[in-house]
Amino acid sequence: MSDVSTSPRWNPVQTLLLVVAVAGAASLAIVAHAKNRLLSGAPIGLWSAVHLSDATLPVVLFGGAGVVLAIVPLLRRPTLYWLAPPAAGGVIAGLSWIAGRCADALAASSPAMARTSLGAGYWIVVVCALLAAADAVSRLRLRALPSLLAGTVALLPLAALIAIGVTDQLSIMREYDGQRDAFLAALLRHIELVAGAVIPAALIGIPLGIAAHRRAHVRRIVFPSLNILQTIPSLAMFGLLLAPLSRLAEAMPALGRIGISGVGPAPAVIALVLYALLPIVRNTAAGLAGVPASVLDAARGMGMSRRQSLWQVEVPLALPLVLAGLRIAVVQAVGLASVAALIGAGGLGAIMFQGLFADALDLVLLGAIPVVLLATVVDGLLKALAAASQPRAA
Amino acid sequence: MSFERRAAVGVMAARLSRRVVLGTTLGAAVGVAAGAVPLRVGSKLDIESALLAQTMMLALAAKGVPTADRLRLGTTQIVRSALLAGEIDLYPEYTGNGAFFFHQDADPVWKSAQAGYARVRDLDKPNGIVWLQPADASNAWAIALCGDVAAANSLATMEDFARWVRLGGNVRLAASAEFVQSPAALPAFEATYGFKLRDQQLLVLAGGETSAMMRAAAEGISNINAAMVYTTDGAIDALSLVVMQDTKTAQIVYAPAPVIREAALAHCPVVPAILSPVFGCVSIAVLRALNERIQVEGQSVQQVAREFLTAKGLAG
Repeated sequence: MSDVSTSPRWNPVQTLLLVVAVAGAASLAIVAHAKNRLLSGAPIGLWSAVHLSDATLPVVLFGGAGVVLAIVPLLRRPTLYWLAPPAAGGVIAGLSWIAGRCADALAASSPAMARTSLGAGYWIVVVCALLAAADAVSRLRLRALPSLLAGTVALLPLAALIAIGVTDQLSIMREYDGQRDAFLAALLRHIELVAGAVIPAALIGIPLGIAAHRRAHVRRIVFPSLNILQTIPSLAMFGLLLAPLSRLAEAMPALGRIGISGVGPAPAVIALVLYALLPIVRNTAAGLAGVPASVLDAARGMGMSRRQSLWQVEVPLALPLVLAGLRIAVVQAVGLASVAALIGAGGLGAIMFQGLFADALDLVLLGAIPVVLLATVVDGLLKALAAASQPRAA
Repeated sequence: MSFERRAAVGVMAARLSRRVVLGTTLGAAVGVAAGAVPLRVGSKLDIESALLAQTMMLALAAKGVPTADRLRLGTTQIVRSALLAGEIDLYPEYTGNGAFFFHQDADPVWKSAQAGYARVRDLDKPNGIVWLQPADASNAWAIALCGDVAAANSLATMEDFARWVRLGGNVRLAASAEFVQSPAALPAFEATYGFKLRDQQLLVLAGGETSAMMRAAAEGISNINAAMVYTTDGAIDALSLVVMQDTKTAQIVYAPAPVIREAALAHCPVVPAILSPVFGCVSIAVLRALNERIQVEGQSVQQVAREFLTAKGLAG
């Protein structure tokens, strides 16, 4: 949460976002129309797009919500900041609606191979609207969970438009249509890879962090090793695991039967566990080291044993930092799991790489956007959890 | 190292023979040609490999051979190691890659479809790997020109291209570092057809991904009007590029062929009979058309593979 002054009159962040959004919308393409999936499209600016979309409601929604979003930060009543997320939602939905109707109009008058993609202007407006909403929400000084809900409100109208098919003719949705079955499987596999990596990493990392805090010789071995592991490029790590895992599965067929092999999810999960260890171990140790000596004295003075002091005093006090480490580990794993597609582990990376190989940028986006959303949602949820674990002021 | 590998293959064979016994009993019980242990079909990451592997899977399934999907496993190196390690049973590979697997890329044998196939088949035998009959197609390196430039100068073959370059034709070629440097690629073209591209006529990109180079040539980005391409690339027509025909076969022939582990073949000996008619239908034009449906029209690999087999009457 930001500590920016609450003086509501002039807000440089909001002004900058407004200027960027207006400049982007006015000068760059909202959509681009290409003869096929591979060629770059001819840019269509906001005015032509509005004309082409030929409907009043989306334009009113876009314009009206835009005005609300621009005015809210100028008002003296901070409670009105609550209007920012739904207004951002209106801006995003309105513009997507315009783009979707443009795509419909263009699809009706061109061959089936033609594609209408979202242009740079569209993405700039969407990002600025989301940032403006996030800035307003941060001024409300909410806890993590309501912030996450506010973010959801900003994307809900777009989700509704996608669900009722308004955006179906946009290139990214046509890519989704081609990947319908594969997409859900890839999303689930991505979540499996992350969960399969972070849960074992926490089970190993937290005890390791406690041990590193309590014993200097453990610390001297663990931290340098984890630091070195972190510097190995992910693709190299997957490659390095291929040979030993294959041998292991050969030597112990039982392992092979439960899915341990040199390619596929096994090496991916192992590599992700190794990467997740550093933030978890470091933050656990740092959290424990941050417990004030006076508190430890008091615990000892009350007659607590070392074990009691650890579990009843030190761990609860260190918990917010431990959870912060876990959060870094999860967000990192969500991103790194994309690379795992290169060794046959699947996940959203598989869709991204398919797009890269076909030079179909919308297919790349179809893989990349869910990764960003997944990382954001997980980050918000764990922030909320960390906030809830904050010791109450006595 | 080679001893270790042989030992590993031995363990694998022992394990597989157990699967064979199990397989034949079950196979006999349900009256199918192959066992119940599925053949694990792998592929590289690119579209054509996935398409060929998917076609293989569907053709095998149509004849009652159970398969397991290991498609888009990784790069050439990873898929090849997976085959050698027994992680997968078969995948589509190009005969010309034998030149690089066995470090013989200077040998002219790879420029002949038949001799190159025979060479790689013999070289891979000691590894317990069997190369089945390849398709009469080659996904080789080539130079493609922007359609307008090719038409304006009536260029269709590498001989035309060489003459045009010698006479000071305004060419600017986007290519990968490997294409420019590997003796088997651009230098082979230059030596065979007698021309030489100056440094200013080349834009060298680090990766081997041709899509960006082809788009640059099609749209004239940075004054590029030519690009390295793979001859079966589905984007060639959509981008209005014209491939310069390699009339003197300067390039290595990359004919796609099913590559299977000996042990898996022994377990399922009907595989060659099923796959040979499939690869018999595959030509450069067929591959380009199928790739185009995936690359340009965005159809799924499964759909394109299924419709291809149905059209050829091989869908069972």
